[in-house]
Amino acid sequence: MSFTLSRRQILAGGSVVLGAATMGLIRPTSAFAAHSKIVVRVERDLANLDPANRTGPVDVNVLFACMQGLIGFKPGSSEWQLDAAEEIKQVSDTEIDFKLRSGLTFTGGYGPLSAEDVKFSFERFTKADAAGNKVAFASDWSALDHVEVTGPLEGKIILKSAAPALWLITLPDGSGRIISKKAFEQLGDKISNTVIGSGPYMLKEWKPREQFVLDANPDYKGPITGHFAEVVGKPIKEQKTADIAFKAGEIDFESIQPENMKAFSALPDTTVKALPGIDYVWFGPNIEKKPFTDLRVRQALRLAVDVDAILAGAYADLYPRANALLAPGMLGYWAEAPVYKRNVDGAKKLLADAGLAGGFKTTLTILSDARFQAVAEVIQANLADVGIEVEVNALDAGAYWALGEKDGSKVLELSLIEYNGKFDPSFDTQWFTSAQVGQWNWQRWKSKEFDDLDALGAKTTDVKQRGDIYIKAQKVMDESAAFVWITHNVNTFASKGWLKPGILPNGNNWLYTAFEEA
Amino acid sequence: MAVIGAVALLLSLTLLIPGDPATVLLGPRATPEAVAALNAQMGLDLPLPARLAQFLAHGLQGDLGKDVLSGRSVSHMLVEALPNTALLAFSSIFLAILLGVPLGAISALRPGGVIDQGVAFISVGFVSAPSFVSSIFLLLVFALWLNWFPVLGAGEAGAPLDQLWHVVLPAVALAITWVGYIARLLRSSLLEVLNEPYIRTMRAYGVRETVVTMKYALKPACVPTLAVLGMGVGELLGGAVFAEVIFNRPGLGSLIYGAIEERNYPVVQGGVLVIVILFVLTNLLVELSYAWIDPRVRVQIELRPEPRA
Repeated sequence: MSFTLSRRQILAGGSVVLGAATMGLIRPTSAFAAHSKIVVRVERDLANLDPANRTGPVDVNVLFACMQGLIGFKPGSSEWQLDAAEEIKQVSDTEIDFKLRSGLTFTGGYGPLSAEDVKFSFERFTKADAAGNKVAFASDWSALDHVEVTGPLEGKIILKSAAPALWLITLPDGSGRIISKKAFEQLGDKISNTVIGSGPYMLKEWKPREQFVLDANPDYKGPITGHFAEVVGKPIKEQKTADIAFKAGEIDFESIQPENMKAFSALPDTTVKALPGIDYVWFGPNIEKKPFTDLRVRQALRLAVDVDAILAGAYADLYPRANALLAPGMLGYWAEAPVYKRNVDGAKKLLADAGLAGGFKTTLTILSDARFQAVAEVIQANLADVGIEVEVNALDAGAYWALGEKDGSKVLELSLIEYNGKFDPSFDTQWFTSAQVGQWNWQRWKSKEFDDLDALGAKTTDVKQRGDIYIKAQKVMDESAAFVWITHNVNTFASKGWLKPGILPNGNNWLYTAFEEA
Repeated sequence: MAVIGAVALLLSLTLLIPGDPATVLLGPRATPEAVAALNAQMGLDLPLPARLAQFLAHGLQGDLGKDVLSGRSVSHMLVEALPNTALLAFSSIFLAILLGVPLGAISALRPGGVIDQGVAFISVGFVSAPSFVSSIFLLLVFALWLNWFPVLGAGEAGAPLDQLWHVVLPAVALAITWVGYIARLLRSSLLEVLNEPYIRTMRAYGVRETVVTMKYALKPACVPTLAVLGMGVGELLGGAVFAEVIFNRPGLGSLIYGAIEERNYPVVQGGVLVIVILFVLTNLLVELSYAWIDPRVRVQIELRPEPRA
């Protein structure tokens, strides 16, 4: 039997398809091109899918794909775009009004997304549960007073004080995801391994330590659509295994070591991408411990260490040098920060002035990791030249990060530290305040001036003024000579030639919705 | 008793390991309340005897607690991981026997000959090859260059052929060391048995050498090898960490390894309990099999005097 179509029938059929697509009956995700699926390597497995108790970028990247926020990050940018909100505006320093799009629904039959869900999602960060416990990311919404629901789709976010960082590290980030109040109340504890969202993807499968699969959400009616019908995440801890899997074609995208960029660039059908990071790696002393209480000793350390040699020896000269806390491109970046060059004689003189001409012995605590070990070796050799004998104490991740608890940092002398950065400077400065001594201010550095600047920066809404505040805060840090900045890191990725990845500028967060065919 | 002892030891060790699990799990942004709640959830706020009693009491009911990160049932996680590990452990031991026993037997037949020396060389090389090195080597050759086998995972659940295809490289990587062990061990025990009086008697009666070796000498010579294999299976059931991490196989080893890194104690405790039980069971089975393999052991058991009333 033959089957032919006339030109009129084709045109009529085409118009039906076009009309259906226009009316939203055909989902964009059903029109996926040559590749309908991508397989990405993630460095660790999913752990907790409750936005308020998430454990890291792997969790939050899935939440970005499956749950909507009022706003979300623009692909490749730290700026935001509208997501579940049709309109959102800051009407005063302490009030943000929003109006949700109509027709947004939660997966799993949990009904439409409403302003009540927004209220529930945000206010749970500020309230303790029945046992008196707050969520892990409670500080993201510390400025929130309450959310006022003014209509089924409308509401006001009322703040206790101005909080400009909300627009960068809360609303578009994990803590700004909107969960279903009904689902949360029904699922209870299961919310940590179940995703009920209204986003472009839904979590179809999660086989722990094997893979998770995101499928396009057929009921999604928001503005940000994915380009692939399926996204598979493979947790692969071992970098070498991931590299071999990429080369063998089992994965399409992975984060690679910057040292391997050349080798990956030479592979057929492979694109390599490098993004300067916004993290901060530094080393410095516990300034409550003698002899580091003496400014001259701290200045001597800074002059004795050759940061360029560290970058050459431990980072293959591929990482940018950091001269202050905030990375280039961030608000408050201090472009004129002094670049300290190694000056052994100057360091020796300072030590002699401090009565330590004969040098002294100290311990450098590091995370047990090949790269940090290499950094420590350079520091050890540099400080030996000025008479400081350094013993390196490499700790496993569990023991190392526990130094941030129960005043663990009290025992430290020198420490090598790396913290992940976020797009707002207030996120990065908060760890260095006096209140953080005993927790994440491992150097136990206290400065009233810095604390005041940190508090002021957190509530200043004028961008120029805010930038100046953070530059001033970094100057205070510099004057203390307590910090020897090393690098802001660089993030490097390899993807198949046909794939354009959707990476946010911090390198850690990926928008699976922004992965598209090159 | 062995199981209780091992669990008690493990719980004691968790007190000595530096690092507060709640801090590791919750990260720098955790509130003190969240840390306290997590410690309570893991039972770390209880004294050691109470923790042991609680763990065993719940364990006897099949409740090994919850993964503190995801809230998933630890029993369920172990049930998911165990088949992959069991397949890997038994496949590697099977491969090790398949290659190690003939190599050991051939060596013993002509001690000091060219074949014996060649096998000795190979065996020592195999024994000293670290499994992570052989794993990477196998991946590069057979997965990347030749593209014969996959790199990642354990294969599709419910697809036995796919699972077998995925287990080949990790099983070979683990078997390599055991091939060397078995070959060396079997060679020496076979040489010992071949000098036994009953073997000389058989030879004197003109029984063919092949029959003497294969039928009458090999079985009793296998007893020491079997003891080592028992330990090997037990070890592989819990310790195939390198292969599981490098081949990205979800299994008991990688589950416990990850849990130790995260100080996720309910998973560590549950996983170790399962491994200890498997270890004890495997060794029990091995000991019972001695009697089946060596008639002399059977006779010894039958002739054991009855205890006096």
